[in-house]
Amino acid sequence: MRILIVDDEPLARSYLREQLAASDDLEIAGEAGNGFDAVKMAEELPCDLMLLDVQMPKLSGFEVMELLGARAPAVIFVTAHDEFAVHAFQIHAVDYLLKPVEPSRLQQALRRARERLGAPAAERAALSAEVAVAARPPGQWLQRIAIREGALVHVVATHTVDYIEAQDDYLVIAAGPRRYRKQLTLAQLEKQLDPARFVRIHRSFMLNVERIARIEPYAKDSWQVFLSDGSHLPMSRNGYQRLRAVLD
Amino acid sequence: MHPIIGNRWRLAGYLLLWVTFGALLAGVLAVSGQAPLRWAGLFAVPLAVLMGLQCLPCWYLVRGMASAQIPVWRLFGTWIAASFVLLCIWVAIASGWLRVLKALDPAPNVDSAMLMPLLVFAGCVGILLAILGLYTAAAFERSRDAERRALELRALAREAEMSFLRRQLDPHFLFNSLNSVAALIGTDAAAARRMCLLLADFFRNSLKFSAQQVIALRDELALIETFLAIEQVRFGERLRRRLDVSEDALPMGIPALLLQPLVENAVHHGIAHLVAGGEICVSARLRGALLDIAVENSCDPDRPPSRGTGVGLGNVRGRVASMYGTRASIDTESSPEKFRVLLALPATPVEVSRAHPDR
Repeated sequence: MRILIVDDEPLARSYLREQLAASDDLEIAGEAGNGFDAVKMAEELPCDLMLLDVQMPKLSGFEVMELLGARAPAVIFVTAHDEFAVHAFQIHAVDYLLKPVEPSRLQQALRRARERLGAPAAERAALSAEVAVAARPPGQWLQRIAIREGALVHVVATHTVDYIEAQDDYLVIAAGPRRYRKQLTLAQLEKQLDPARFVRIHRSFMLNVERIARIEPYAKDSWQVFLSDGSHLPMSRNGYQRLRAVLD
Repeated sequence: MHPIIGNRWRLAGYLLLWVTFGALLAGVLAVSGQAPLRWAGLFAVPLAVLMGLQCLPCWYLVRGMASAQIPVWRLFGTWIAASFVLLCIWVAIASGWLRVLKALDPAPNVDSAMLMPLLVFAGCVGILLAILGLYTAAAFERSRDAERRALELRALAREAEMSFLRRQLDPHFLFNSLNSVAALIGTDAAAARRMCLLLADFFRNSLKFSAQQVIALRDELALIETFLAIEQVRFGERLRRRLDVSEDALPMGIPALLLQPLVENAVHHGIAHLVAGGEICVSARLRGALLDIAVENSCDPDRPPSRGTGVGLGNVRGRVASMYGTRASIDTESSPEKFRVLLALPATPVEVSRAHPDR
């Protein structure tokens, strides 16, 4: 079994490395000190299992899983926090270990991983982007959106996003002069964003209300919203009502 | 809860007192030649016990009138009325008992007319003694109550101290540190030992300081150094720390554990979110009658705008306000890559500020 260790603390990685060295059938495929490296290495290196920290700078363990989607290897979360366990299992994590990691618990988790990997591929539930997005840790609106662009990973803070447009089967996220593409539906993202900041003004547009400069009527039951940078977006009658509900 | 009925032994003792009272009464009857001793005992002791039982409910009057602001005339009026009722009932039963005894055991020289005034007098004395006794019991109970309340208050204060400490210390700090120790034991036993000692030092001093109101800046900075040394083991090169403190600021008093949560925030909301890490700088110097302290950290330019006004900072604000009122100030400065908390406290050397902790 080839394993990728992901933790932003060098000591936490070396502890896991030391524990894994005890088993003969394990091979350490690589080590990543942050989420960006983790995404890259999980795709480039052949690996079966990822030991993944949750709280890391910029990209959390959950965001790493979201970006990898169906390409993610089996995962065991390793964290000092117990509050993410439910969400870890929602995205089909093999196990959830608490720091400090007990060696016998780690061995148990590895046994489970072997069983899981030994099962026919059809029985292994592939991780879909929707499941990964829905499994975000609770209690907060999305603060940032993780986006892949080929080998690159962008992390866009939600307060810098101007608007989001739905195209065929992906979203275009507009933040200043940049445009990012993400494989997701507007409805899925809408559930994750703070409804006081982002309003669905149209079937295919969601707007950051802080960017609104003015609103002009366009035709019967339709409006145009002008943003502070001069661009404009269409707004439907339902969108107009939703926007008024937020602004009033 | 009734202090006498509620306890079997107390009830027995109480009734024994009344038996004694009855025996005394019998003695008086015998000595004054009104009745033979055996007859007088048979007559007086049951009546005395009856008197004792009759007086038991008076406890509720004692308690009821102790808790409210009762004018003296009402207090006396109530007691006189109650005593009169008790006395009438008692004397009525006594005369009935007298008649029964006379019928059963006709003593030659018992004169009912002579006995009655003595009985009324004895009844008055008995009721008076009972009331005084109940008041004494009530006073005892009150003082024991006060003692228990004082104990409870002390326990509450202690609990507040502990919960303060719980708020101050993030448990994940401990879990992550222990994970580091577990890692070091395999690779660098000396470093693992160092880490254990640092942790012990940190928790011991946190406990010690949390029991104090004001400590010297020197002591708080030593605690912060320990904390950062522990976090350094976890974060390695990602955490860079700098202390810039002028010598004359060190003996000044500050509220205990005021800066530690700020430095903890600097690590968890600043350094921990940076892939390449950053710097934490604590500086302090005297400016006239003020002690200026700044805690500054690098942070992620893409952080949500609201970050930095968390619970930790709220606590610090509250403590500074309740301790110094308007004589101190606390401000935050936020730029894309830096977050800074600025404190200006009245500069008081620690011995003086200990003597006048609040104003």
